[in-house]
Amino acid sequence: MSTKKGFKKWISENLGLVFILPWFIGFLIFKVYPFGSSLFYSFTDYHLFDGIKEYGLMNYEEIFTTTKIMRSFKVTFQYAFMTVPLKLVFALFIAYILNFKIKGVNLFRVAYYIPSILGGSVAIAVLWKAIFKGDGIVNMILGWFGIAGVDWLAEPKYALFIICLLRVWQFGSAMVIFLAALKGVSQDLYEAASIDGAGKWRQFFSITVPIITPVIFYNLVTQLCQAFQEFNGPYIITQGGPRNATTLISLLIYNNAFKSYEMGLASAQAWCLFIIVCVLTIIAFASQKKWVYYSDEDGR
Amino acid sequence: MRKTIKQAVSVTLVSAMALSLAACGSSSNSAETTAASAAAEETTAGEPAAAEGLTVNTTDPITITMSWWGGDARHEATMAAVEAFMAKYPNITVEMQYAAWSGWEDKMSASFATGTAPDVNQINWNWITSFSSDGSAFYDLNKVSDILDLTQFSDSVLSDCTVANELQGVPISMTGRIFYWNKTTFDQAGLETPSTLADLMAAGPVFQEKLGDDYYPLAMNELDRTIFMVFYLESKYGKAWVENNELQYTAEEIQDGLSFIKSLEDAHVIPTIKTLANDGADSLDKNPKWMEGKYAGIFEWDSSANKFHDALNEGQEFVVGEELPDMGDYQGGFSKVSMCFAISETTEHPAECAALINFLLNEEEGVKLMGSERGIPASAAGLQICEENNLLDPLVAEANGKVMDYVSFPLDPKFEAAALKNTDGVYYDVQAGLSYGDYDVETAADVLIEGVEEVLNK
Amino acid sequence: MTRETRRRISTFLRYFILIAVGLIMVYPLIWMVGATFKTNNEIFSSAWFIPKEPTLSGYENAMKSYGGDIDLIKAMLNTYSIVIPKVIFTVVSATVTAYGFARFEFKGKGILFAVLMSTLFLPQVVLNVPQYIMFNQFGWINHPLYLALIVPTIFATDTYFVFMLIQFLRNIPKELEEAAKIDGCNSVKTLWYVIVPMLKPSIVSCALFQFMWSSNDFMGPLLYVNTPAKYPASIFVKMSMDADTGFEWNRVLAMSLISIIPSLIVFFLAQDSFIDGIAAGGVKG
Repeated sequence: MSTKKGFKKWISENLGLVFILPWFIGFLIFKVYPFGSSLFYSFTDYHLFDGIKEYGLMNYEEIFTTTKIMRSFKVTFQYAFMTVPLKLVFALFIAYILNFKIKGVNLFRVAYYIPSILGGSVAIAVLWKAIFKGDGIVNMILGWFGIAGVDWLAEPKYALFIICLLRVWQFGSAMVIFLAALKGVSQDLYEAASIDGAGKWRQFFSITVPIITPVIFYNLVTQLCQAFQEFNGPYIITQGGPRNATTLISLLIYNNAFKSYEMGLASAQAWCLFIIVCVLTIIAFASQKKWVYYSDEDGR
Repeated sequence: MRKTIKQAVSVTLVSAMALSLAACGSSSNSAETTAASAAAEETTAGEPAAAEGLTVNTTDPITITMSWWGGDARHEATMAAVEAFMAKYPNITVEMQYAAWSGWEDKMSASFATGTAPDVNQINWNWITSFSSDGSAFYDLNKVSDILDLTQFSDSVLSDCTVANELQGVPISMTGRIFYWNKTTFDQAGLETPSTLADLMAAGPVFQEKLGDDYYPLAMNELDRTIFMVFYLESKYGKAWVENNELQYTAEEIQDGLSFIKSLEDAHVIPTIKTLANDGADSLDKNPKWMEGKYAGIFEWDSSANKFHDALNEGQEFVVGEELPDMGDYQGGFSKVSMCFAISETTEHPAECAALINFLLNEEEGVKLMGSERGIPASAAGLQICEENNLLDPLVAEANGKVMDYVSFPLDPKFEAAALKNTDGVYYDVQAGLSYGDYDVETAADVLIEGVEEVLNK
Repeated sequence: MTRETRRRISTFLRYFILIAVGLIMVYPLIWMVGATFKTNNEIFSSAWFIPKEPTLSGYENAMKSYGGDIDLIKAMLNTYSIVIPKVIFTVVSATVTAYGFARFEFKGKGILFAVLMSTLFLPQVVLNVPQYIMFNQFGWINHPLYLALIVPTIFATDTYFVFMLIQFLRNIPKELEEAAKIDGCNSVKTLWYVIVPMLKPSIVSCALFQFMWSSNDFMGPLLYVNTPAKYPASIFVKMSMDADTGFEWNRVLAMSLISIIPSLIVFFLAQDSFIDGIAAGGVKG
């Protein structure tokens, strides 16, 4: 067999590799070095301006022995497990409604995406606080019903919830992805189901949801990633306060990296976060067999 | 065939890893060598370096870069001044890089860390220590003292900017903390604006009684409280907060200071941290209670006078207060170099950079265009030119004058270390913890001492 | 209750929910529009959107330029000269990569997919410095063509989009492709004529997200662009924000508002593609 022929054969057997080659090259050029060096830094006392003096596990030791850092991991977990389910349910519900043929649906879709376009702008920060401050809109409305106001921004046990609400409110991108998935669900299936006499809600749970599980799975995984790396919400609304109740881990990582220049510690914190998200993703992928339905798979 | 590809891939992988490791190694090496060379210099030099007799090149085309942060007025004034400099030295082109403060420190730290910083930089005072503890980030300005006239600056401010016997930057202005009062509210309460601590303490209950629970004669966040506490301690005990890299105060003395802050809260002089958080404003100038006059006093930077003045609703009268003299036998207070111009160590044109700085800070043409957009000039010549041409903001000048006349203790740059003054730092933890009732005075003092010492020992 | 009234009630409820929730969604934008006509004090003291004493100064100042180097329009043009190539490169490279992962078997696929996913898990903050060192080596800092911002997207480095397309692709049955293969289509042709049309709604979402996120990106351009004349709008709108001496918020808000108008238009137009998706989705079942 000539080499040329062998090569051709190899190519035809590994076409997939050819398609992913651009990504792989990009990974080697743009990702290996930053990832590798941050992993390396995590085992040093690298200070951005003083360089490296020591090598070892001291950063990891510091993480596990400092209450402030462990607390912020805990807060990050609370935040993620509160935000992700709420956001997914809300986004799917709204996407489902917006998928009907109703008048003005285009305008509604734009309206519901607006919070995501505004992102972390100054206007959001100002308004969000105006809504939840002591004499803000929420407390005013509670007052109409004779309910005493709540210190949303000042009471450690409530503040995280405010950040969580901000992110749930910005559900636009999850919604758009669901919409794109819903468009892929054939109308025939619905017609068949309505002939069988299934109501809209039955149809939703027994037809729509199972078909779009790969996309629900996608949203679950990426929203988890994003929630664990959340930075902007607490940064613009509470600056981590009150009493560090909203100090998510990425806030600490940012402060260590770009305020104290403790790159070693920041990198170690980031890699701990990496491992947490990794484990959660692995669990999610393992659970796929139980609930995610892929059309390209045989069986089922 | 398959095997060769596999090998090729693994070779690229390995070489990529090697590359990454090599790069890590080299960056640490260079840091070590510069540290070593700086240490070597330190042992030999006792006197500041003499001018090296560089001359400004007025013939060959030269390009230097300059960076600053700020707002509109500063951008415009600086651009005009730099244009004038380029007109004076037609062979020199200055490329300007500027934006707002937000994110700027991140950008500059990345470029200084990689040795790609612009030639001339407006820097925050604490960068001289945080960007290089050994003076390796910035060019020693003593070496160009024949181009940049350093005699216009007092020895004490120059020594504030000296690290390892090298002049890291030349101070542009000094700044400090002073009280500002809303006279209208004090009038409503039937009181004069406070000129002593006793006046202030007495005003608390009067405000509560006459004007209501929402009204306070003063409002301070966590950082303001820490600064005010140090002010109080220095006035009472007569020693600087930190000197020779050591905290000068005992646990008992610090407990006294924290009790003092707590007593302000208890006497209705300042609102609790919780009250402030509930106002939903990230600084007092954005707080409706300051705008309306419910908070009738602040302890703020002299340079921010206009920001707080402009934030008041119409009809409220804003006055610059006095530092409170009756806290003890000494004159405490808080002042520091606000910002510097510095030349980066990596520059190829130190002489031309020095000429630019001298033009902006000491020469009439430059100073007139720069005005007081960066505060009251620290340069004697600069100040005189500004005064003669009426370029000083009257409010800022008044506030600055009062601070500078009063304060008698030096400030250690590490007071502003990020681990202390950030919102997740020690000062916030201690003051908010005390105010929320999470810490008693003893615990708060211990947390503060531990935090400060950790920063000092780093 | 007749079927007709039930239908009416359900329509009414649907609209009621849509409008009520919609108002909560849009209110910040409405407030922002109002705030561009307000003074600083009113911006920070009122959550109501109608200005008491409207002022136009925000818009008058919004068009100011810095030394003739840069103004809002130029900054917006800069933004789109970064964003448009990024969107195109991302869509192409992500689709190709996703196709490779979703439709082919090859050795090491599991590991490579794990590597692809894992690049999503590390916060960008700790990568900034090594990345800066790297782009500096490449000579890409302050490059007039924004190479540091654009080139990585040629190589599908935003794996968020790759993963998304993989998930959508896996939801499309293989029958059509097999039919295409029998008709003699090679895999490139199959990708173009069969896969891409079916993936259209999700490809459009990719493009949309990349468009929005890149337009909003602040830290990337701030690190890699030095010359003010080359600043994108995300940096430009903040340029007047002097934290020390104060500044006019209405102007900043007015500039932010103007700079998001293209995003709003693009989103509105992109919706047609979702509608088109119905036809493409019809092949299923």
